[in-house]
Amino acid sequence: MKMKVVGITTQQEFFVGSKDRNFRINEFLIIQDPFQGDLLGEVVEAKTFNRYIPLNIYGDFVDNAVLESLKALGYDVDEDTIYICKVRLINEALYPVETGSDVRLPKFSEVKAFMVRTYPKEGFVLGVIRNTDDVAKEMDEELKNILHTFEEGILKEQGELPYIMDVKSMHHYPHIGIFGGSGSGKSFGLRVLLEEVMLKEIPTIVLDPHFEMDFSTIQEYFKDKKDLFRDRFKCLQVGTHVGVKFEDLGSGDLKNLLDAASPLTDAMNNVVDIIFRRKESYTSFSNRLRMLSEAQEAGSSNEIDNRIRNAKNDEERRAWEERRNMYQTYDKTCPYSSVRGVLWRLGRLYNEGIFSKDSREIQAAILDSKMVVIQGSTRILQVYSTYLLNTLYHRRRDYKDALYKQLPSEYFPPFLVVTDEAHNFAPKGYDSPSKSIIKEIAQEGRKYGVFLTLATQRPTLLDETVTAQLNTKFIFRTVRASDIDTIKEETDITYEEAKRLPYLRTGDVFISSAVVGRTIFARIRAAYSTSPHTLNPFDELWNKSKEEDDKYYDIIMKMLPISEVDLLNVIQEIEKEDGITLTLGRLEDKLQTLSKKQYIKKEETFLGYRYIKV
Amino acid sequence: MYTLNEDIKDRIKDVNLDLSGRYNSIFDNDKNRLRSFIQSNIGMIQTLEKLGNSKLEEIKNLGGLVGVDGSNNRMGGSYPHYIEAFQAMAKSTIRINDPIFVSRVYTPLLDEKIESSLILEEEVKGENKDSILANLEVEAAIEGAKKLNPHIILMDGGLIRYNIYALDKWNELVSLCMEKNILLAGVIKDIKTSIIGDELKKNHKDIKGVLYDRELLYGLLNYGEYIPIGEDVNKKEKKGYTSAFIRSSLLPMVIGVDIISEQGQFLEYISRLVLSLTPENSRGVPLWLDIIDKEVKISDDMLKALLERYLDRGIYQRFFVSERDKRS
Repeated sequence: MKMKVVGITTQQEFFVGSKDRNFRINEFLIIQDPFQGDLLGEVVEAKTFNRYIPLNIYGDFVDNAVLESLKALGYDVDEDTIYICKVRLINEALYPVETGSDVRLPKFSEVKAFMVRTYPKEGFVLGVIRNTDDVAKEMDEELKNILHTFEEGILKEQGELPYIMDVKSMHHYPHIGIFGGSGSGKSFGLRVLLEEVMLKEIPTIVLDPHFEMDFSTIQEYFKDKKDLFRDRFKCLQVGTHVGVKFEDLGSGDLKNLLDAASPLTDAMNNVVDIIFRRKESYTSFSNRLRMLSEAQEAGSSNEIDNRIRNAKNDEERRAWEERRNMYQTYDKTCPYSSVRGVLWRLGRLYNEGIFSKDSREIQAAILDSKMVVIQGSTRILQVYSTYLLNTLYHRRRDYKDALYKQLPSEYFPPFLVVTDEAHNFAPKGYDSPSKSIIKEIAQEGRKYGVFLTLATQRPTLLDETVTAQLNTKFIFRTVRASDIDTIKEETDITYEEAKRLPYLRTGDVFISSAVVGRTIFARIRAAYSTSPHTLNPFDELWNKSKEEDDKYYDIIMKMLPISEVDLLNVIQEIEKEDGITLTLGRLEDKLQTLSKKQYIKKEETFLGYRYIKV
Repeated sequence: MYTLNEDIKDRIKDVNLDLSGRYNSIFDNDKNRLRSFIQSNIGMIQTLEKLGNSKLEEIKNLGGLVGVDGSNNRMGGSYPHYIEAFQAMAKSTIRINDPIFVSRVYTPLLDEKIESSLILEEEVKGENKDSILANLEVEAAIEGAKKLNPHIILMDGGLIRYNIYALDKWNELVSLCMEKNILLAGVIKDIKTSIIGDELKKNHKDIKGVLYDRELLYGLLNYGEYIPIGEDVNKKEKKGYTSAFIRSSLLPMVIGVDIISEQGQFLEYISRLVLSLTPENSRGVPLWLDIIDKEVKISDDMLKALLERYLDRGIYQRFFVSERDKRS
């Protein structure tokens, strides 16, 4: 195996050719420059070339028969294939690389610093670094057999260097972005990342609009890992399991929530400021708002006085007296339309069940170093996350600030915030309530140990300030040109890598990391757990109808042969034995379906038709 | 845009008229009559079968096929300020054998035969170029016969050329091949003979000028057909060669095959090999010779790079950079 630097070279880039070794993209090579010593480079483009195939010699196209003849004569043109690759040096050389320099494969120790920055016990084991099987043979025992990959539908042993993300480096580079089109392996990558997060027992909040981040089902081929995540995570649904305790809300929180339901005007903000009292219950607040609006509907103090006079009973009178007080205190400062607006937004949140629960369970789980998966529709998550993240982030911040000022304070741990479809939570171009808290965490979270992991298929739609703060980016297959442009702008992936983005295989990913300072081409490992949505809806449909058929087949088989005149008896029999009540029409229907699918056979007799076994 | 000179246009039209008139008397005869004329006066038209893989493997086991070709290129100004490089190559289909290269570089400036600047280019150049190349090719073939021990040596071009330009070495090669039982043949891409035409002229006294075989055979043979040329009509026979015409590809053009007369009985065998190695949709040249042609070729870039690298700058400029090279 001989590889040499060929052609014109520069300090950064040059070509390497070989007659017998095919190059692979992203593999490392050592260039033995006679003047500058060993230089480490990475293959950024690989090509093969055979000057006789496609066999265009002076414009002639050579057919296979002739090639076969030549082969029989002992000459196989395939052996004339040469392999060429473009290599970029990891660190720029002082002079252009000497043409003709020998090239060899690196040893593990020579590339370790670029590839493996930490060991499994202190990092997230996310996958393998592509095309490193040559160096992987000599890697440390600790790095061997720590994961499996899934390729072409087959589970494979680890043959390459592992990609391990250094957890501690998140102190300096706290935020992660996961980009990729649908079907690119993005959600799957997120799943693997979350599995690692759980294994490292890092408190985490996951916003899951797709209801897919459930880790209770373990893949069949990892039977030994059953229960791996059992007590490590909790799926909680907004409105059903968790919500906001109204009594805990400050007027700022409340305004955020209302704004999330539908944007608030200045006047509405004012209404909340004036009417809301701290520690008030939902009922009390909404009652007072309603009374005020009813009083305003009445129109004037005189009209209200009128109603008090004409009240049918004491209760009604007292109610209108209260309304009069409200009216006199607030009518001047709270215009009717704004009061209605706040009331409507409040009602909407209430109907979604947000106020019926609290978030204690979440906070307890975070203190317990667990992962909390919060599920709900995108809109409701937008609303709820605004409140929740504010609450949690400020608890952590207050603790840290107090610590700094040497004041006593209740402990609250650092935590990770993870969301899919992040562009819905921090959209570019317009304001959304959750955006301000996510932006705040993106900009200041590092100080307090609050980390973001944002996944989206539309990086272009994600707020730019937030995107700029993502220090580590996982980039899966991306087809949309505008997203590729965004990725090119926001990451250090090269021109050649950007060109490959639309063609990446599902699960293959470019990892652009500020820690490493370069892009790594990796494949996400096989996940231990599986998404609850993996059953194909069509399989589900067909399974269901097969199940139904089988059920009736079993019942009806016992009764065969069934003749036309017997039908009523059969119905009674079935009711008695199987507890299923059928109408005559339905039984006939079932019999026909079964015979059409050839489970049973219909035959004509002189007494009419009858059904028999096949 | 070109400014078109009306006169030159007319003259070209005249050439077209003259050439198309030239064959009228023969083309008016239909194709079959010319074919039967050939059958009775030149040689039987036969259909060749390609060699099967087992036959080809047999060749491989006997030592394989060695192809020989040469190339030359020159750089510099006009005579005598130019430098010309020649190389010939013998390459075996058995891959472990490294190809054999022989080469020479010629410049009239160092030619001792040229004693005076009054000697004209024509007096030295033509002969020199052809003989250097022919000699190199034969040298490569001799080396090939000795070192590669092939079953067959296939020269690129007719064999008669070596008689003219490299007789001594050629005789050495022929006796070496006879001694080692190596079949020695040549493939002619551009046939320049007039064997059929000359026979036609004997029968049709009114035909004037030379009728070349290339023109007469164009489109006459079907793919895979060949004509072994009768000994009595083949002028090359006298020089010691047996020859045939073959239509070796779908192109209507016909190529020629020569083999030394002592091995005349292998003419058909060699022709079949040539047919087997020629792609259907090609110009009719066996692929092996094309591959060698490509490898042996001295390209302008390569020659220039060599001269710039290995000649002193001053020498290169003083002797070999022409006025034309400096135009740009």
